[in-house]
Amino acid sequence: MYRYDEFDARLVKDRVDQFRGQVNRRLSGELLEDEFKPLRLQNGVYLQLHAYMLRVAIPYGQLNGAKLRGLAEVARDYDRGYGHFTTRQNIQYNWVALKDIPDVLEKLAGVELHAIQTSGNCIRNVTSDHFAGAAFDELMDPRPWCEIIRQWSTFHPEFAFLPRKFKIAVTAAEHDRAAIAVHDIGLRILKRGDVVGFEVHVGGGQGRTPHLAALVKDFVPEAELLDYLEAIMRVYNRYGRRDNKYKARIKILVNELGTEEFTAQVDAEYAAQKGHEKIDLPQAEIDRINAYFAPPAFDADTGSETFEAAKAADPAFAEWAEVNLHKHKQAGHASVTVSLKPIGGAAGDATDAQMLVVADLAERYGYDDIRVSHAQNLVLPHVPVKHLYAIWQALDAAGIATANESLITDLIVCPGLDYCNLANARSIPVGQALQKVFADPKYQREIGRLHINISGCINACGHHHVGHIGILGVDRKGEEFYQISLGGRADEKAAIGDIAGPALKGEDVPQAVKRIVDTYMALRTSPDELFIDTLARTGAEPFKEAVYATA
Amino acid sequence: MTSVRPKLKPETPKAITAWETATGRSVWMTQVGTWSDDVRKAAAFTGEIAEARLAEAFKQEGQVTDPYFMEVTETGGITGRETIRETIRATGPTVAYGASA
Repeated sequence: MYRYDEFDARLVKDRVDQFRGQVNRRLSGELLEDEFKPLRLQNGVYLQLHAYMLRVAIPYGQLNGAKLRGLAEVARDYDRGYGHFTTRQNIQYNWVALKDIPDVLEKLAGVELHAIQTSGNCIRNVTSDHFAGAAFDELMDPRPWCEIIRQWSTFHPEFAFLPRKFKIAVTAAEHDRAAIAVHDIGLRILKRGDVVGFEVHVGGGQGRTPHLAALVKDFVPEAELLDYLEAIMRVYNRYGRRDNKYKARIKILVNELGTEEFTAQVDAEYAAQKGHEKIDLPQAEIDRINAYFAPPAFDADTGSETFEAAKAADPAFAEWAEVNLHKHKQAGHASVTVSLKPIGGAAGDATDAQMLVVADLAERYGYDDIRVSHAQNLVLPHVPVKHLYAIWQALDAAGIATANESLITDLIVCPGLDYCNLANARSIPVGQALQKVFADPKYQREIGRLHINISGCINACGHHHVGHIGILGVDRKGEEFYQISLGGRADEKAAIGDIAGPALKGEDVPQAVKRIVDTYMALRTSPDELFIDTLARTGAEPFKEAVYATA
Repeated sequence: MTSVRPKLKPETPKAITAWETATGRSVWMTQVGTWSDDVRKAAAFTGEIAEARLAEAFKQEGQVTDPYFMEVTETGGITGRETIRETIRATGPTVAYGASA
C-alpha cells in the first residue's frame, strides 16, 4: 500500500489546520454559510437532512487494519457508532458535529486518510477493482496507476474549479468490476507487446442524463497517460457547459460534440502541449510507485485440506464459501467479500465494532489488506484458505457473514430520504422490504447473480441505471413512488436500463420485483442462464408485463 | 439547500426551521424567538410576522444555518407537500441504524 511521504503528511496536516480556522470562523458567525459552504465542501462536509455529513476519501477503496480502526474510532467517538460505505469506495459519517470535524480530520490524518476532493467540482477519488492485485483474471495490478492519478489530480491547480465534478475509474481485468463505462474517464490497462498502456473511455455517467463512455483512444502508452489525461481535462475545462449545472458534466460535452470531434479536440490539445508542459513521468517514478504495491509474501502452505474439511463439517460455512469467495491468482488463497448487506439492514452500513472485527481479521490472517467495493461491501483480498473457517466464524459472530455476494439481496442502495437532502424518496426501506421477499439463502442461490440497485433521486448515487433491475424513487406531489428499469449493467457489457413503465407505490415494489424474478425463472433455458442474459434473449416485454400484472 | 422548497402563501401557517450551526441538528423557532430541537415547540407564523421572524433568523447565522419556512398547521404540526421530508428531519431516519439495526 502507498505510504505518505513527508510532503503528503505536511499537505494533509496543513489542510486540517486551515479548515480548523475556517470552522472556528463559521462558529463565531464571522463566516456566513454562503461563504463557508464552498470551503466545507472542499473538505468533504455536506449539510444533510438532519445533520452534517462527512465524506472521507478511501483512495481506490484501499484500507489496512490501522486505517479501518481509525475509521471505526471516528464512528464510535464522533458519530453514532456506524459509518456508511459508498459506491465511490468512500465512507460517510451521518451525524458528525461541525465543531468536531477538525478533530476528526486530525485523527484521520494520523492514519493517512483525509476528506480532500471528496466534494466540489474537482477530480474525485479514483476508483478501481476491489480485487486489484488479487484477482485471477487481471493483467496487472491497477492500483499503482490509481495512485499515480491520485497524486497528479490532488490539488492540481488547473482542475480545482472544473465545470462539474469528475470521476475516474481504472480496471486491469477482463471482467470489469470498476464500472469504467459509467465514469467521466474510464481506463482499461492493456499491453501491446511489452508496453503497458491504456484504453481511454470518456463521457460516461449516470445521474439525470445517463451515458455510456465513448472509446476515445484505444492505446495510450503509460509514459504518456498523464499528458493525455491533462489534454482531456483541458478540453473539458474550456468547453464544458458552465452555464447549466445539469449540462456541465463531460458526458454532455462528448455527446454534443460527438466522439470523433471530441477526440480530435483532445488530440489537438495533446499535440499543442509544448515540451516544457509535458509531465515528466520517468520509469523510475513508475517503478517507485509500483514498489508500494508489491504482492505480500504469500503463505506457501495451501492448507486446502483444512478448508475442505471445514466445509464438509459445517454446511453454513460451505454455503458462504460458495458465494462470498473470489478466485485468487495465488494458489491456496481466496478473496473474501464481507457482506454489508444483512437481510433487513442498510446497505453499506457497518458499526464501529464490525469495522474493528474486519481490521483485526485483516491483520491476523489477511496480510493487513482490506478494500471497500463499489457494491458497498468490504473485501479481504488475500486470505489463505486454511484461515477461512476462523474468519467466517468471526464475521458470523459480528453479523457480517451473509452469504449473498452478487445475489439478489446484495443490493446497492443510496441513503435516500432517510438521510439525504437531495433525495425525493426513501431507498433503504424499499431495499429492506425487497430483501425480506428474497431472504431464503437457497432461493437466492437458485436465482443466481442478479443486481438490484436503488436510488432515492435522479442523481443516481444508488446506480439504478446500471442495475439489472433498477429502482428510482420519485416524488409525486409529496408521495413516494418508484420507477423500475430493466437491463442495466455496469460490467464490460455495460448498458443503461430501460424504464419499464409508470412508477409504482413503494409497497407494490417488492411484489413487482418478485413477479419479474418469477418470469425469469420460468423463461430461463437453464439455471446457468443469468437473469440479465435471459432478458437480453427474450427482450423486456415479458418482464414489463410482469411488473404491472395483478394477481 | 434542498432543491424542493415550495413557495407558501402569506396566509399559510409556517414554522421557521434551520440547522444548528455547531452540530447540524434540526431546530425550530419557538413562539418567543428562541431555537428548540423539539419540533413540538415549533411556533406557527403567518404574513409579515413570519417574514420578520425569518429575517431575524438569517441574522443569527453563527448559531443557525440556512433557515427556511416549513408548512405547518395552525397548531404547528407538520403538513403539506414536504410532510415526509420534514417529518424525517424532525424525528430522524425511519429505519434502525448503528448497533440497533
